[in-house]
Amino acid sequence: MYDLLTSKTIGLPMSAVILFILALLLAPMYAGLIIKIKAFCFGGRKGSPLLIHYYTLFKLLKKGSVYSNSTTLIFKLGPMVGLATAAVALMFLPIGGQPALFGFSGDIILVLYLLGLGRFFTIAAAMDTASPFEGMGAAREAYFPILCEATVFMVLILFYFLSGELRLEAYFAGNQPFGLWQKAGAPLLFVVIALFFVLLTENARVPVDDPTTHLELTMIHEVMVLDHSGPDFAFIELGSFFKLFFYSALTARMICPFEPGHPALEAGLFFLATGLVYAAVGVTESVMARYRMDKVPQFVLTSFALAFFATIITLEFLK
Amino acid sequence: MVLFMLAVTIVLCGGILPLIFWRQFVLMRALGLAGIGAGCLVGLIDAGTKLYHQVSCSGAYSYLNTFSLAFRIDALSAFFLVAIFTVSMLAAIYSFHYMDDPGSALRTAANTFFFSLLIAAMSLVVAADNLITFMLAWEMMSLSSFFLVVHSYESAENRRAGYLYFVYSQAGAMFILAAFGVLYAHTGDFGFGGASGLPDAAKILVFVLAFVGFGSKAGVFPFHVWLPHAHPAAPSHISAVMSGVMIKCGIYGIVRIYALLDWPTPVFGTIVLIFGMVTGVLGVVYALGQHDLKRLLAYSSVENVGIILIGIGIGMLASAAGKPLMALLGFAGGLLHVLNHSLFKSLLFMGAGMVLHATGTRAIDQLGGLIKRMRVTGTTFLVGSLAISGLPPFNGFVSEFLIYMGSFKGVAVGKGTFALCLLAVVSLAIIGGLALALFTKVMGVVFQGEPRSPAATNAHEKGASMLAPMLALAAACAAIGLLPTFFATMALKATASLGLAPGPAELTSIFQLTANITRAAALFFAVLLLVLALRILFYRGKTVTRAGTWGCGFTQPTAKMQYTGSSYAASILSFFRPVAPLSEDHPPIQGRFAQKTSYRSHVHDLAELHTSNAIVRPVLALFDKLRWLQHGDIHLYIGYILLAIVVVLFFV
Repeated sequence: MYDLLTSKTIGLPMSAVILFILALLLAPMYAGLIIKIKAFCFGGRKGSPLLIHYYTLFKLLKKGSVYSNSTTLIFKLGPMVGLATAAVALMFLPIGGQPALFGFSGDIILVLYLLGLGRFFTIAAAMDTASPFEGMGAAREAYFPILCEATVFMVLILFYFLSGELRLEAYFAGNQPFGLWQKAGAPLLFVVIALFFVLLTENARVPVDDPTTHLELTMIHEVMVLDHSGPDFAFIELGSFFKLFFYSALTARMICPFEPGHPALEAGLFFLATGLVYAAVGVTESVMARYRMDKVPQFVLTSFALAFFATIITLEFLK
Repeated sequence: MVLFMLAVTIVLCGGILPLIFWRQFVLMRALGLAGIGAGCLVGLIDAGTKLYHQVSCSGAYSYLNTFSLAFRIDALSAFFLVAIFTVSMLAAIYSFHYMDDPGSALRTAANTFFFSLLIAAMSLVVAADNLITFMLAWEMMSLSSFFLVVHSYESAENRRAGYLYFVYSQAGAMFILAAFGVLYAHTGDFGFGGASGLPDAAKILVFVLAFVGFGSKAGVFPFHVWLPHAHPAAPSHISAVMSGVMIKCGIYGIVRIYALLDWPTPVFGTIVLIFGMVTGVLGVVYALGQHDLKRLLAYSSVENVGIILIGIGIGMLASAAGKPLMALLGFAGGLLHVLNHSLFKSLLFMGAGMVLHATGTRAIDQLGGLIKRMRVTGTTFLVGSLAISGLPPFNGFVSEFLIYMGSFKGVAVGKGTFALCLLAVVSLAIIGGLALALFTKVMGVVFQGEPRSPAATNAHEKGASMLAPMLALAAACAAIGLLPTFFATMALKATASLGLAPGPAELTSIFQLTANITRAAALFFAVLLLVLALRILFYRGKTVTRAGTWGCGFTQPTAKMQYTGSSYAASILSFFRPVAPLSEDHPPIQGRFAQKTSYRSHVHDLAELHTSNAIVRPVLALFDKLRWLQHGDIHLYIGYILLAIVVVLFFV
């Protein structure tokens, strides 16, 4: 770990670097897993190859772009900031129980607000096009994460209460103090579900948003990026894969906090658990319909209620 | 003290000279700018050095041989003086090109005069060291700003705003006077010194009265009703000063009274924190519902006052619980947010002023696409929007981060504190999300997309003196965001007046936080540069073309089809309908050959609604019944006075 605090390298930086690069490389594959599950397990089709997103990314990177006459520099900044913030978020994420690349007290707040910065620019890029569809998507993108943030901070309060710290590493790396099978396991089941709801909402999945639909009136994230093309669009796609990986990894570590002792085993277990979370997303998308837009806030608020209950229960019973 | 008095005198000269030379329009404005600018600069240097070196000074002057006017500048005063003089100086520079109508030269001169009076009054408020001096300066501040609000008194709306402001500021001043009365009754002395010796019940009474009075100036819900009316009515550089620093004098009052009472009780913290949370959330919800750019910014000031109060409330709770680090985080975060908000809010008001100057309208839904023709305004407004949304790497994030850290620390403290701190964290998160929605709305609808009216199509920015302050403020927002340690030190020094006496361990731990923000910002920029390099690499030799926006097959879009500000905010507002009742006026489309229809919506402010129903109407009805007392006969009035004196003689 490279400690931002003392500017000194401690522990095994190589493992963190390797895991980070592995996460960057594998994120598109995991997103392909969702498509595969939907097609193979539920759709009765063979489905697109697991590596479909790599092919798409390469195709996009080879292309040029068409820019709308209405757009300004902000439109080009949107994909860049989106990708950069998601990548920085992954740098603070402890992967497979190993310390993260960077970490300090309060880093989780910084990461959440950096993702907010990415959202600001995604919305601003959408508003730049003067398109009514993209405005509509932007309005929803601005709305639902407000409720998500309340949930996430509620979960953070619980984590702070359990560990006395406010850093991702204290929650998800080395001798994780709590998890589904350890201290405060029962209330943490609520937290896992709440985090999964947040994952679905923040990453524009069914039942909040449908990443495959092309009916603009029902979409959130996809409609906001209608005008992006070529490498710009590839950046957006990559950024959203990273963000999905970030949330999935958090959820996976809650479900599977085991540390078998060997770093390679731990990493393998982690990537397997993360795959399970992605599979769960695929299953959810297959068996559920998308909610009507005005039902979405209730869905997100459910996650807040769960996180709130978890905190209260923990406070009462586990002091 | 001499330098401070010199600064105030120069500022006042900068106000009086234009009244004499109003016939030479350019000379008058130059004199105003030179006087106010130079005075503020002197004051800023003086306050900055006092804050840096932690020296306090005091001086007393006899007034009418009855009262002594006492002044004292300690770290807390110096901190507020830095904000006051910085923003006022930039606002004075901005006003040089903003007030450029030679047809209303005398009015401009009067405006400059009251502006200088306002600056002087604000700086005297934070420097005042006894009850009389404080009240005099406070009234001077309220009255001078009243005359600035009614600058364009021709419009009935502005007169109403001025009236509302006058009523609220006087009612608020009465509460402060009442608080001071209780103080005086116990100490028998006009000085502030004896306040800490009051009995506990009296302390609570003094604090509550003072909180209502100062809160009405700061814009605390539900005493904020005047604010969204008065701020848009004033010229934009005045709005910048009023929103940026004048309402902060209310915050100063709350913190000062707290410091004077010197009683670590959770009661004060609880009051301040609960009002802060309500103010913050409701302020930003009401801001989302606004259609007028300056009114929206005014409501956003209410929101930010809420954030400041959350920080200060956390600090007070922590002092009561004996947690020095948490107290320091709360107070320093709140005070730093005072400085931050004064910077980005004045930046945003100046940007709004430029938009108003260039297009002649403040209606958000009439604008659009301005960043293409107003590059500096648009870019600085973007910086201001990012900063006020509390996003890294700008200054708003730093203060909110400190307050978050303080609130989280409180989660581990006893039960009552736990619940309050939990609510504080959640409301900060909700406020952050709503602020992001609010400012993406403003940026997206006003500055991006296509212009929705001819006025917006032909808008151009002009006036170097208007652009320079905006650039300076945007640079300051970025500087505090990137190098927060220096500015956090300022805020920490200001807390010295609160008697927290932090140990070196606490200070180190806060400096580690701010240093980490710098490093994280550097990391983010490094990654962003890498992405930029990749982008350049991938676009090398590619064909990049321009075309119309993809309309999903529709090829003839018009600017009217764009999402408006009202539609952008509609779904969020419907969620908050219980606290922000929405009235809509939308004649349905009827008949086979449908006629034009319209849509109008208004978000009601609960405080405004209930204050006017529950307080204003009954009071007006009562005074209507007492009309017979007032009949214009001077003899009878003299009779009243005599009667009053006789009655008073009986009782005293």
